[in-house]
Amino acid sequence: MDEKELVKRAQSGDFDAFSRLITEQKDKIYRLALKLTGNREDAEDIVQETFLKAVDNIDKFRLESSFGTWLYTIALNNVRAHMGSRKKMTLKPIEEYLPSGHSDENTHTQLFDWGDPHQLFEQKQLDQIIESALAALPQKYSMPFMLRYMEDLSVKDIARILKLSLPAAKSRILRARLALREQLAEHFREKIDEKV
Amino acid sequence: MKKCNQNIQNICDYIDGELDGSLCEEIDKHLKECRNCRIMVDTLRQTVVLCREGRQEHLPAEIENKLNDALRRKWEKKFKK
Ligand SMILES: [Zn+2]
Repeated sequence: MDEKELVKRAQSGDFDAFSRLITEQKDKIYRLALKLTGNREDAEDIVQETFLKAVDNIDKFRLESSFGTWLYTIALNNVRAHMGSRKKMTLKPIEEYLPSGHSDENTHTQLFDWGDPHQLFEQKQLDQIIESALAALPQKYSMPFMLRYMEDLSVKDIARILKLSLPAAKSRILRARLALREQLAEHFREKIDEKV
Repeated sequence: MKKCNQNIQNICDYIDGELDGSLCEEIDKHLKECRNCRIMVDTLRQTVVLCREGRQEHLPAEIENKLNDALRRKWEKKFKK
């Protein structure tokens, strides 16, 4: 049975059809919420709120987007409501993440080449570093970044879900990526300095 | 000499293999000449790789069971079974 048919059945009151629609989505929403919040309890709350809201609104779902995309929209609203007032790092303008110089030999403008991070950290430690770096980003940046690179959505879909223009979505993804890169570079550099 | 950073707005498309044509060649060419930009591109690429290889979490079974019960209750109320 395809998604359309399942949605139609769910909308006419068939709970099994609804259950089938959400089976694979539960882990997906949980992972997304976990990465955005960096916290299990928050992620669990967000999953519950998301699917309960999906029941409430199932009749409002029009097949303009995929069911998964519709759930993301609900989940992200819940993340916002849940995490609204919590303090996050402030991102710099794009230019400030970039090295200022040209390819001259001036060591001050040389970027730090961190090599292979797996040589520096165990996978488990790396996971933790990434998780806290992601959770530190403001959601307006972490959301589009994660949808793009962890959920493999197109920039177009992300712009639609987050109600952004295409250039705005693209720019936020870039800023998130630059900010993460910088956070990772700091971690890796510290580790290398420790070793020396 | 081409300046660094002037194609930064398209760097994600470049790294993700979604940029073609002259812009792509321009960046390729610059990267051959510029170590800093090579490091930038390489570490930006790795940033995404590292984010993607993180552990695959699952919703804890106990939470899922609780959720399924709550959904069924809400469903039955909504559709008045
Ligand atoms: Zn350069």
